[in-house]
Amino acid sequence: MYCISTENLTHYFNKEEMVLNDINLKVPQGSIYGFLGPNGAGKTTTLRLILGLLKKQSGAISIFNKPFAENRIEILKKTGSLIEAPSLYAHLSAKENLAILQKVYQCKKSRIAEVLNIVGLSDTGKKSAGKFSLGMKQRLSIAMALMHEPKLLILDEPTNGLDPNGIIEMRELLKQLNKENGMTILVSSHLLAEIEKMVTHVGIINKGKIIFQGTMDDLHAAQQQRSFISFETGDTALTKQILMEKGLQVVVNGNGLTIPMIKKEAIAEINEQLVHQQIKVYQISTVKNDLESIFIDLVK
Amino acid sequence: MELINSIQSEWLKTRKSAAAWLCIIGGLFIPLIFLIGFLYNRQTLAMYGDEGNVWTLHFFQVWQAMVIFLLPMGLVLATSLITQMEFRNNTWKQLHATPQKYHTIFAAKFIVILGMTAQFFLYFNLGFILSGIVPSLLFDKALPDSVFPYEQFFVSNGKIFLTCLPILALQFLISLKFKNFLVPIGVGLVLLVATLIIVGNWEYAYLSPYSYGALTMMGVPEIMEKVNIYWLSIIYFAVFMTISFVLYITKSEKG
Repeated sequence: MYCISTENLTHYFNKEEMVLNDINLKVPQGSIYGFLGPNGAGKTTTLRLILGLLKKQSGAISIFNKPFAENRIEILKKTGSLIEAPSLYAHLSAKENLAILQKVYQCKKSRIAEVLNIVGLSDTGKKSAGKFSLGMKQRLSIAMALMHEPKLLILDEPTNGLDPNGIIEMRELLKQLNKENGMTILVSSHLLAEIEKMVTHVGIINKGKIIFQGTMDDLHAAQQQRSFISFETGDTALTKQILMEKGLQVVVNGNGLTIPMIKKEAIAEINEQLVHQQIKVYQISTVKNDLESIFIDLVK
Repeated sequence: MELINSIQSEWLKTRKSAAAWLCIIGGLFIPLIFLIGFLYNRQTLAMYGDEGNVWTLHFFQVWQAMVIFLLPMGLVLATSLITQMEFRNNTWKQLHATPQKYHTIFAAKFIVILGMTAQFFLYFNLGFILSGIVPSLLFDKALPDSVFPYEQFFVSNGKIFLTCLPILALQFLISLKFKNFLVPIGVGLVLLVATLIIVGNWEYAYLSPYSYGALTMMGVPEIMEKVNIYWLSIIYFAVFMTISFVLYITKSEKG
């Protein structure tokens, strides 16, 4: 079951500029979904459409299995969000900012201290939010998103402005919220490395189109497919012939050859055969694409 | 109930804000000037002589100094400051992602502006009464003989409040529409100055929604006999609020 589902979501900023093209985002219930893409790919626009901050032009958006437009209030009661830069009243303290939302959501006043504790801002006292560092503002924004104990959390680049320690803490917090409260989390980022350790699902968007969507296992499988083995020998032509006889797809690359990833036992067997044919083997290496380079390949 | 929660939430945003300070300082400024003047010159309301009820005379003296320029200017500033708070803090997106109906947000915002205007009236009237009472008690050792004109006091306050409505509504409209803080302030200031130039010099000055406070105080007969400026205030208010609401509801980008 999907917590968020969009169908053929298309959006134009003007007649010529299509910013989203047929976006079919599927965020499973209970997942931590990493929404990845380079800057300007359409992540924020998608998230703003999902939250009703942008008027939908074409396509459909369902959250909690209900169409958003007709059930906006009911859906937003169960949704917390942080879109782009922090949204805070600079002249008010952290507590006063949260008190504004406490009135709207009609949650217990004690919740203010709870969420401040969760994000580590309990001791900010009367200091106005305008005087906070960017990291503190980001934490307060997350506290605001958590105020009403939402079932769905939508966070757009939540680690912006956080130091490495803050990023790790944020990651742990999101994992904990997901595990203990069963919260579905949609988190966007332009850095795969930043979120790959916490997400269960991933969607990659580029130039307004979803180019990959699936579980992290699916992405690892893609990584496996994109890894290869490189050979450098004294007789490239003969080596190529031997490899092709084994049914492998061979690519000649300067003085070397590459083949798709195979098991290590098979590599040893090929090596043995090459030596047996008196071909000098200078180098056999495994070239593994990390997830980041797959991401870069996909968005190229 | 939802509206009350939204109003409470909007009211919290005005705490410690520039608009809240403007409301207090603006409300007490003119009465304080009068009070200081009385104390400095050791005068009391008795100086108004036997030309009428001293409270009425004092009331119009104090209000006159306020209504023509300072009050509309204060309304321009306060309305822009409160409404533009969301643009300034980049909080429209946060506000529109909360479970509140758009018309509730719209109504709550304007009700808070009305509330702050009422608060200004409260401070001003309190200041007006104190500026009369304190010197009399100090120097005459007694309150003025004149009976306090309660009815006139409330009716005049009500009329002045009515003349504020078109200014509040137009400033609200402009502040909701334009992100740049200078636009509502600039438009308000230009229209106000232009209005003050034409009031008393042009028979159609009443067409300006900023003119009704000045007309109330100056009582220009050729205009006051021809039109009911209080009805005009209400009509302008209704028109501006309707346009504001339509523009707000149909806005394609809500944060």
